[in-house]
Amino acid sequence: MITVLVVDDAAFMRLAIKNVLEKNGFKVVADAKNGQEGIEKYIEYHPDIVTMDITMPDMTGIEALKKIREYDKNAKVVMISAMGQERMVKEAILNGAKSFIVKPYKEEHITQTLLKIAADK
Amino acid sequence: MAEHYGDSLLEMFLFETSQNTEQLERIILDTEKAGKFSEEAINEIFRIMHTIKGSAAMMSFSNISTVAHKAEDLFYFIRENPSVEYDCSNITDIILSCMDYINSEMEKIKNNEEADIEGGEALIQRVERCLHEISGGKGVSRNKNTGTESKSAEKAADGEKVSKDEKSEKHSYQLTVFFEEGCGMENIRAFSIVRDMEDFADHIRFQPEDIVENNDTVFEIRKNGFKIFFDSAKTYQDIIEIFEKTPFVGSINLIETAKAERNQTQKGAKPEVKNGQKNGNKADKNDEHQSVQSLISVNVSKLDKLMDMVGELVIAESMVVENPDLSGLELPNFQREAQQLHKIINEMQDLVMSLRLVPLASTFQKTHRIVRDMTKKLGKEAEIRIIGEETEVDKNIIEHLSDPLLHLVRNCIDHGIESEEERIAAGKPPVGTITIEAYNAGSNVYVVVRDDGRGIDKNKVLEKAKRQNLLKKPESEMTDKEIYNLIFLPGFSTNETVSEYSGRGVGMDVVLKNILAIGGSLTVESEEGKGMAVIMKIPLTVAIIEGMGILVGNRRFTIPISAMKESFKPDPKDIFTDIYGNEMIMLRGECYAIMRLHKQWGIETEVTNLSDGILILVEQDDKRRCIFADKLIGEHQVVVKTLPELIKRIKTVEGLSGCTLLGDGSISLIIDAGWLVNTDIK
Amino acid sequence: MSDVSKTFSGAEASEDSLSSKFLTFKIDNECYAIEISFVIEIINMLPITPVPGLPAYVKGIVNLRGRIIPVMDLRIRFNKSEIAYNERTCIVVASIDGMDIGFIVDSVAEVLTIPESDIVNPPAIKKDSNRFVKGIAKVKDEIKLILDNQSLIDFRDIDDIASAIQNEN
Repeated sequence: MITVLVVDDAAFMRLAIKNVLEKNGFKVVADAKNGQEGIEKYIEYHPDIVTMDITMPDMTGIEALKKIREYDKNAKVVMISAMGQERMVKEAILNGAKSFIVKPYKEEHITQTLLKIAADK
Repeated sequence: MAEHYGDSLLEMFLFETSQNTEQLERIILDTEKAGKFSEEAINEIFRIMHTIKGSAAMMSFSNISTVAHKAEDLFYFIRENPSVEYDCSNITDIILSCMDYINSEMEKIKNNEEADIEGGEALIQRVERCLHEISGGKGVSRNKNTGTESKSAEKAADGEKVSKDEKSEKHSYQLTVFFEEGCGMENIRAFSIVRDMEDFADHIRFQPEDIVENNDTVFEIRKNGFKIFFDSAKTYQDIIEIFEKTPFVGSINLIETAKAERNQTQKGAKPEVKNGQKNGNKADKNDEHQSVQSLISVNVSKLDKLMDMVGELVIAESMVVENPDLSGLELPNFQREAQQLHKIINEMQDLVMSLRLVPLASTFQKTHRIVRDMTKKLGKEAEIRIIGEETEVDKNIIEHLSDPLLHLVRNCIDHGIESEEERIAAGKPPVGTITIEAYNAGSNVYVVVRDDGRGIDKNKVLEKAKRQNLLKKPESEMTDKEIYNLIFLPGFSTNETVSEYSGRGVGMDVVLKNILAIGGSLTVESEEGKGMAVIMKIPLTVAIIEGMGILVGNRRFTIPISAMKESFKPDPKDIFTDIYGNEMIMLRGECYAIMRLHKQWGIETEVTNLSDGILILVEQDDKRRCIFADKLIGEHQVVVKTLPELIKRIKTVEGLSGCTLLGDGSISLIIDAGWLVNTDIK
Repeated sequence: MSDVSKTFSGAEASEDSLSSKFLTFKIDNECYAIEISFVIEIINMLPITPVPGLPAYVKGIVNLRGRIIPVMDLRIRFNKSEIAYNERTCIVVASIDGMDIGFIVDSVAEVLTIPESDIVNPPAIKKDSNRFVKGIAKVKDEIKLILDNQSLIDFRDIDDIASAIQNEN
């Protein structure tokens, strides 16, 4: 089973993503409500994929992405962004984000993206 | 979780992964001989583990994936730290254990059994410990490195592939990408694609150009697609595959514009060479420009079906051509066309059979591992020599051959090859040699397992057989061959102590059983102190045989022509009965026992007088007998079908190796030639 | 005969609700029932090829559209007198433990739903006497004997014979 760590400051978003993933056979091993917690959970669970909100308090998704990739440069991180964050997304890609999903998204956007990324070497 | 994916995907996973593990095993065993992992081997092992990890994760077999992942980590470290010192043999053991684990987990998947999570975890710890040791406790430096490891690995692997294929010249492509509707930020996605492409392409130009600065470019990309021009050493298909894996890519249009001159883009070349849509481009694999031979994997059951149908076709053909309605008619045109039909069908049959042929190589390769493990454990030295591994046999046969072969090799090391001291004392080279050889002869394949060990001790065998009550006739009357054959009897084992490998005398009888099951036979040669050989003779294919139809009472049977020496009406003068009432016949100075099928099987018939019926001289396993039947019906090619499982379970049913459908839909039972010459005559 | 020669399609056979559906058929004066989930199809008699060495109740093998399946005469299996096959004789093709087998029966009656609560265990008369019947149900005043599929294809008796012969030799 593909294991996923969901990092998002919004409880609703965490739940929404979790529901979509679990319905489609992924295993959400942990979630985190900010960047710092995201890094800690990554080290603890070594998930196959991380979904990472870009905008979060204290530490942004991009900072967390950098830290996680420093710890494990194979980490597969998918950014969850909103319209208008083009610059941030670009920065995330330059820092090794595997792909990104633009809110609002369709269910299959998430599942297809994660499946493809999990399969990618 | 595998039910989320189609069975075909699962099959492909199992197939590919087992291929990968086989390759892994070869590399590892080759390496161990060298005592050190070559750079190439390290890269290759890394790549294989990486692949297994990825596909297992895709199939959600996380236990397999994690184990592969850990192994990959280990080799990553070794690759990145070429100067590190490690115990090659220990690492080999670990990787082989990982491989065994992966193989056994795949078996479980096939049988729908629970995964062995704990075993996996124990293994992971073992790999981690090893990594910890060789890295001097530094941990996995892999995690601390920056840069893109997986890509460099891919590059290394690809680079190798490219040079192997001698495809160092680059191609120029024009690519148009359409993203999935509603995915958002198409310009940034385009940027992301270009960035990823830098790993495998150069001279990248794209349109629209200002994707990063100008967010309005999304509209143009949505409308016209994102166009990229680039050079790459990758093949057309490779590139299609890369984009198939890229998230949010809806469809692509890839055109190969020309073979690029090194470091120079050709601009004016005609963009008409190739044109493929992302979905439905599979047929392009057969494109004439692809110099690599294209292969597809086919489910064996489809081949079996095809084989069956060709068999039926052969029968149908003879039913038409030899139709009684035609008898007496002069039909020159019909005859000519029928000849042509016959020729085509024959060619087709050959072709279909060849489809099922696979080389013995991978079966032979498996013996390396056994030799390695056993010699290590038993403290003996032995080398394996393989000859003729390219010899091809029917797929069904491979399956039956694998176990016997491995068992024979085990037996060679366990019983045949002496300890080093013993060998030196006997004036032999200290390292024993086991030779596995395959060759074609006529419609048979011979597989020989030979060792230069101590050979079979006849007295020991006899003694043992006597103790086990396995002797059927006085020792003094037994030929060497008969004595050697004793080792194939159920429950026979010459080794005093039970060993982990050759076991408790189970095995050699299974070897014989397996070989008989595929219509083969085996003989043993031995010379005391010099070694022994087991020679297995196996028909090229078992699915279609030439058979002779015979009649007993009102029942039809088929005898394999390969076992028939001749058939004749006996001269009553040649027939006699011994003091026990056994019927015999003298034929050209040789005396043969007569077995009446009607008596043997309790079938009622009017033909009970030997000179009214027919005698068939059969030979199998170097034994001969005369079989009595009512009459011969005629020769035909038959498609062998196995008897239903329930029938096979009934132990009182004997003497049959299968059945076949005749042209009129009726069933003819195929008589087991081995049984004809071996069973007790009633 | 065409009314009985129907195939139970996969769609019908795969539902859980069938676990209490039975195909009933006659042998002599008794009515037997077999769980329909095991039944593949019902066919008219086919020519049987005898196989040497079979016990009397396994008549041989038949060619069912290219598939070779064994056929068992339930009359003989149940120690009843053998009768000549007629136009009502049917073969009930079943799949038990993944193995196909045809049961020759006098005639096929109907498909019935029998609630589990209506099924009682057969009384023990003597050891093994009832081994083919695992339950008895009364439906519309008629007794149905529910067959135990596994025991029908359990050839212990022949194995005993086989080993007896072996020991003799």
